[in-house]
Amino acid sequence: MWKTIIRRILLMIPQILILSILIFVIADFMPGDPFTGLIDPNLDPAQLEAMREAYGLNDPLPVKYVRWMRNAFQGDFGRSFNYQQPVTAVIAGRIGNTIRLSLLSVILTYLIGLPLGILAGRYNESVLDKTVLVYNFVSFAVPIFVLALLMVWIFGYNLNWFPARGSISINAETQWEIWMSQLYHLLLPSITTAILGTTSIIQYLRSEIIDAKVSDYVKTARSKGVPIQKVYTKHIFRNASLPIASGFGYTIVSLFTGSIFIEQIFTYRGMGYLFLQSINTRDYSVIFVLVLFYGFMALVGTLLSDLILMAVDPRIRID
Amino acid sequence: MSNKKRYSMLASTAAVAFILAACGNGDTEDTTEETGNGTDTSEEVEDESGEDASAGDEVEPVEFDTRVENEGEAIDGGTLSIGYVSDSPFTGIFSTELYTGNPDAVVMGYMIGTLLGYDENYQIDDSGAATFELDQETNTVTMTIKDDVLWHDGEPLKAGDIAFAHEIIGHPDYTGVRYSGDLANIVGMEAFKNGEADSIEGITVVDDKTIEIEYQSVGVQMLQAGGGVWGYAAPRHYLEGIPVAELESAPEIRENPIGFGPFKVDNIVPGESVSYTAFEDYYRGAPKLDRIELETVPTSTAVAAMENAQYDIFEGMPTDQYENYENIPGYTNLGVDDTAYTYIGFKLGEWQEAETDEDGNIVEPAQNVYNEDAKMADKNLRQAMAYAIDNDAVGSRFYQGLRRRANSPIIPNFSDYYAEDLEGYPFDPDRANEILDEAGYKDTNGDDIRETPEGEELVINFASMSGGEVAEPIVEYYMQSWERVGLKVELLDGRLHEFNSFYDRVEADDPDIDIYQGAWGTGFDPTPEGLYGRFAPFNYTRWATEENDELMEAMTSTEGFDIEWRAEKFKEWQEYFMDELPVIPTLFRKAVTPVNNRVGAYDITVGEDPDTEGVGLHTLYLISEDRATE
Repeated sequence: MWKTIIRRILLMIPQILILSILIFVIADFMPGDPFTGLIDPNLDPAQLEAMREAYGLNDPLPVKYVRWMRNAFQGDFGRSFNYQQPVTAVIAGRIGNTIRLSLLSVILTYLIGLPLGILAGRYNESVLDKTVLVYNFVSFAVPIFVLALLMVWIFGYNLNWFPARGSISINAETQWEIWMSQLYHLLLPSITTAILGTTSIIQYLRSEIIDAKVSDYVKTARSKGVPIQKVYTKHIFRNASLPIASGFGYTIVSLFTGSIFIEQIFTYRGMGYLFLQSINTRDYSVIFVLVLFYGFMALVGTLLSDLILMAVDPRIRID
Repeated sequence: MSNKKRYSMLASTAAVAFILAACGNGDTEDTTEETGNGTDTSEEVEDESGEDASAGDEVEPVEFDTRVENEGEAIDGGTLSIGYVSDSPFTGIFSTELYTGNPDAVVMGYMIGTLLGYDENYQIDDSGAATFELDQETNTVTMTIKDDVLWHDGEPLKAGDIAFAHEIIGHPDYTGVRYSGDLANIVGMEAFKNGEADSIEGITVVDDKTIEIEYQSVGVQMLQAGGGVWGYAAPRHYLEGIPVAELESAPEIRENPIGFGPFKVDNIVPGESVSYTAFEDYYRGAPKLDRIELETVPTSTAVAAMENAQYDIFEGMPTDQYENYENIPGYTNLGVDDTAYTYIGFKLGEWQEAETDEDGNIVEPAQNVYNEDAKMADKNLRQAMAYAIDNDAVGSRFYQGLRRRANSPIIPNFSDYYAEDLEGYPFDPDRANEILDEAGYKDTNGDDIRETPEGEELVINFASMSGGEVAEPIVEYYMQSWERVGLKVELLDGRLHEFNSFYDRVEADDPDIDIYQGAWGTGFDPTPEGLYGRFAPFNYTRWATEENDELMEAMTSTEGFDIEWRAEKFKEWQEYFMDELPVIPTLFRKAVTPVNNRVGAYDITVGEDPDTEGVGLHTLYLISEDRATE
């Protein structure tokens, strides 16, 4: 098993390298550069040109790439033009927000998805099941930005129940106030994410449970006299949750990447918001690091999913 | 409130700005419009722009007050909340020397303090924390700090702090973007910058309150706010121990910045919000408010925030959504002329890089080279195109009267220099046809499209930017108008272009572009040299004539210290320019500031005395605990 893990990790190196070359080439095609947007009455064009030279933007692509790689190996991922800070510091300032938001979203997603999936599967064809299915279709069909805008409009502006933007109130002073304020700002975006994120969980759980109900091991258990409740919790749930477990690696990884739509609409300063902003302003150094980071996380996610699946399903073994 | 910085080289004045869209780096006074990514056109608007856009019920240009007063007893203290409408978050660099983007200038404006104030013509006066004097004979500027001006930590503001601001920017390790030809103009600055000298020779701290700065040459634009004099101070006692290279990441700049403005920073949530508390020892008197809270609001939700009365004052309200917030109860919309204009430019030449000899010395500086054989080189064609479009209708239809037809490349804000009586090019298709007929642009093959006087087919390629809801309908309207006078104008590549790629191609003199639509923010200096001078890289039309050179020279010469003489030259230039018409100035704009009716008085008149109620931040007060909703 360890051999496999190590092999997979070693394989990541060329994958990341290819990804980095791709980003560099594609980013080079983008029109404009970080200083195009800066032209204003306060700046001397000669100074802008000097800055371009200083940041090495005028160098040929291979030179830029080699320089970047060399620095990256020494832990220097460059400076953000926008934020005038090292890229690592910019990301460090955002990743906390994103993890908090994603974590709460994931928890809420499972809190909604698991019970609904189990109940719908257990009582399939009932009114409850049909209701859950309708919800599932709707949540699958509605694009996240539509619901997010509606939620902001209804709960943020019309009812004023939740803050419509931001990650924390400017007036939070004590640690307790800070936590509470952060939680308050998290609720609306994470509920929005959770409402739309349950589709696959419910669908997989429901169909697995329906299948399992008529399977031999359930009949055996029932005929041995195992109480129905126990059959569901002990036998069926474990088997039915396998497909969900397979996606869990990605779920963990998504904690770090954030959602561009949600963060943009709720003006929540996380990784997704940073990503979009950086693309709009051609903040190359941030874009490179983020794309590489996302790529790396996707690879890690696949690996994690395999490992999790192996852990929960004894039938699967990798050498 | 905050005094705008503006740099202009004496050789080539950088008096220009892209009105930024997606990046939102517009001027403070510019409402960032052209914003957004959508190019969605509204059917309705497009229909209106159709056959008879000039007929029907016209919306008159909207007139705004610049001052509002609300009757009521002032409450004790209170918190004023500001919604800063911007799609780009502030970076949080609280230093005039180190910041880059406009959002930082806005959040800084409440605390940093104004060293040099200005009057209604953006000319430096004595309303700031220091007085200003320019001596033409000795090429020196003398600034004298008023009594009792204190930094937020209680230390007095000293002349050495002004010198320190210069030393930061001139330092060899300086990381920011503010170094410019203006600063290089200070005697000894370049030696300091290159590390050859330990101090800047031309800067003399006479005593604690007085500083003298000697320049190699002085020009009349140095009398303008930000027109060439670095009128800012940095707290030497507070920042001295930090190496200049590390300043921009120092907590003294990012977390606990100090200034000498009426409010001091209390708390900062990076990119989102800032709170300020009253600075009791402010030299103009303690502020009446206890606190100011500023939050960044994205343009997409600005109107919703206003409908819910979430802020007292909205800065940077998007003008293309004006119809949605025109009449929201509880708010009064104030407006001023924006320091920007929209224009349609004609490509008339090419940019030529500097020529150097073997030793690398410049023999011929980089410059614009006019091509008299360019497709648009016929002045008659340009004038006809200007007469063919109805910019009054564009202003009233697409911008609800917030924009109006421009008659000059000098904006009305510069009232001394703006040629108000110039007629410009009002909508007159008959005139357009007449001019074209006379100039020999005739339809020779019967397809209703005019050919060139040489009988060749004439297709004009039009480049324009995407962004904002009205971008596309306006372009459609222009093209239809030109077609009606028999000119075939096609959209470059058949579509609108994203901001960055648009300017990339315009700047590179892409031969596929014949005409293009853009916008300039002008800053606070009326001098048009940075936009239309022979050596100006931003002169994207590449238009250059000897007569223009002469007028430019006159407008920037030292004789211009006689304002009347200078104004006369400005008017001559505007007449010449509007006749030659290398660009059609299309629209002047209004910037709108909604103010809640619980604010006692608010005044956005340019150059008003800061002690007048409603002007300076320290004079603001509230008349109710809750925001007005009716």
